[in-house]
Amino acid sequence: MLIELNQIIPSPLPDKVIDSSEIWNLNLVIQPQSKTLISAQSGLGKSTLLHLIYGLRQDYSGQLLIDGKPARDFSFLQWEELRRESLSLVFQDLRLFPHLSAQENLNLIPQSNPSSPSIMEMADRLGMNSHLQQTVSTLSHGQRQRIAIMRALRKPFRILLLDEPFSHLDEMNQTLACELIRDVVEQQQAGLILSSLGSAPALSFDDQYSL
Amino acid sequence: MKSNPENATLQSCLQVAGPRRELAIASLGCLLGSTLLLLALQFFQDANQYLDQNEGPKNYFTLNKKVEGGALVNLGKKDPSFSPAELESIRSLEGVKRIGGFVRNQFPVTVYIWPTGKVGMGSAAKADLFFESIPDDFLDFIPEQWNWEENASFVPIVVPKFYLDLWNFGLAPSRVEYPTLSMEAATGMPIEVFIGQNREATLDGRFIAFSKRINSVLVPESFLTWANQKFGQPNTGDFFFLWKKGSIDGPPRSRAELIKMMDDPAFASWEVSPLGNAADRVPAPSVVDSEEKIIHPSRIILEVVDSPSPSFLQFIEENGYELNREFPEQDLIKKAISGLFLGMGSIGGLLSLLSISTFATSYRLVVARAAEHTRNLLLLGFSRHQVSQIFFARFLRLFFWVLGGSFILGHATKYFLLIQTAQINLSLPSGFSPESLILLGIYGVLFCWINKRVIEKSVIDLIR
Repeated sequence: MLIELNQIIPSPLPDKVIDSSEIWNLNLVIQPQSKTLISAQSGLGKSTLLHLIYGLRQDYSGQLLIDGKPARDFSFLQWEELRRESLSLVFQDLRLFPHLSAQENLNLIPQSNPSSPSIMEMADRLGMNSHLQQTVSTLSHGQRQRIAIMRALRKPFRILLLDEPFSHLDEMNQTLACELIRDVVEQQQAGLILSSLGSAPALSFDDQYSL
Repeated sequence: MKSNPENATLQSCLQVAGPRRELAIASLGCLLGSTLLLLALQFFQDANQYLDQNEGPKNYFTLNKKVEGGALVNLGKKDPSFSPAELESIRSLEGVKRIGGFVRNQFPVTVYIWPTGKVGMGSAAKADLFFESIPDDFLDFIPEQWNWEENASFVPIVVPKFYLDLWNFGLAPSRVEYPTLSMEAATGMPIEVFIGQNREATLDGRFIAFSKRINSVLVPESFLTWANQKFGQPNTGDFFFLWKKGSIDGPPRSRAELIKMMDDPAFASWEVSPLGNAADRVPAPSVVDSEEKIIHPSRIILEVVDSPSPSFLQFIEENGYELNREFPEQDLIKKAISGLFLGMGSIGGLLSLLSISTFATSYRLVVARAAEHTRNLLLLGFSRHQVSQIFFARFLRLFFWVLGGSFILGHATKYFLLIQTAQINLSLPSGFSPESLILLGIYGVLFCWINKRVIEKSVIDLIR
């Protein structure tokens, strides 16, 4: 999926932030199947960028093009279709259903990707096998992050958006998660945009930007 | 929506407690509103159907000149028949479609009615009667056997339906020798018709039908024309005061009697005056020489386009005519039914509107209470239709209970009404007509459609 950012300035964002940014108010192209790292401190617009691409915000100036089409012109139905079939996002706040079990959360997607690894395989690789039947509210934040990553990987996507997905994971679990993400993204021949507070995850990136 | 594990999970995500009080109020309003609408619609149809089946004249009136005072006074009254000019004035009135005159018999008629079905068996009901005829196209229907050919001995007779009711509920219960009669039995009774002062002729008659429009004893026009010519007493009622030497001489004389007096040498000096105006004396020979009086109808039947117009009623009042209409209460009943229908319909409609509004508000609240999970599902890529459907299915379950309750309540009310009406010998169809059920279905679909739209909009607003 080709993403083009043309002079994008989200609102509200201080001028100082915009001036020092490598993304805002510039022309930027994120190529299909490329892996992009966005690193910045808190409050500089990492989530905003991912939300713009996911169609959650329209409050920006400039032009955002997805596959060459202005995102602002997409209808509600087109966004629905994109989120169902082409975009997958791991939210910073995870957006899991706390009253459901981990397994139920993983099953609660509108459309699953037949070529992605099974729940059991992914849970096995991330060490979550024994926690699948637990309700999410009883899991630690790190465990929840792994469930959210697994859920995002179960959906069909052409670009995977990850918003600080490893903030509560230790190094070993980060590595395991990165390996799983890399394998699924490559197998899907999809792109990836990952936002991070600064530390570089154990993934190789084609492009890296600071906000 | 199909019930599968994923849907069950989806539903459990959006399962929030609704605003119970608001939903209870909306359900109650919907129950009462739907029931009232359904009953109003059904009662309207039932009542109209009943009135149509038991309908009296619609736009038919009889018109005659007012007769007031006692018998002696009326000896001096004006001629009660309508002159050609008067008939023309009436015909040209606003709203009058057509008029027809009643032709009456000009000979005495006595009938013997044999309720046992055979002449000479049991007791006969004897009565001096009159016959009238009107043009056939004023009849509410043309019965079979309504034909009469010259010199035929059988006379078909049509009497008002309420004559039979008077017989059954008035005469028969008071006289052991008279049985009550069904309409079929009444049409089978032989009737001996004696014509003339001295029963010059005897004919066979029978009631062949009962009219709900014409309040008279009707025979075919052809028969009455023939019988009047054959048995009629010319100039009946055509009487004059005879004046001799400035004072009235004896009782009023008929034109026929005056003709017989023509040979008297003093006849040329006598005067006559009409009964209606004794002072209007004219020489007697002038009356005798004038053409025989043409008998004009004294009662006419007229059809109006709709209810009589104000100008029509004013004309009737100004000219001292009397307008009669059978079953005038039917208008009032229809107005009452329309009023009841409108009242029930309006209250039902208002309650339904309020309940739609309360339901809409309640489900907005339900969606708002489940806002976070709803938004998450939409962000995961679930369509607004899939998500809205969860809330809508919840509404539908409640709505079908309410609509079902409304149907049962309506049925119960109607059943109670049927029992009440049966006690006054009024039979109404049981249950609901297909039209009512179709309209209830349309109402239900509309109600659902509005709430579906409200729910969808509430869901979309969460992510916009």
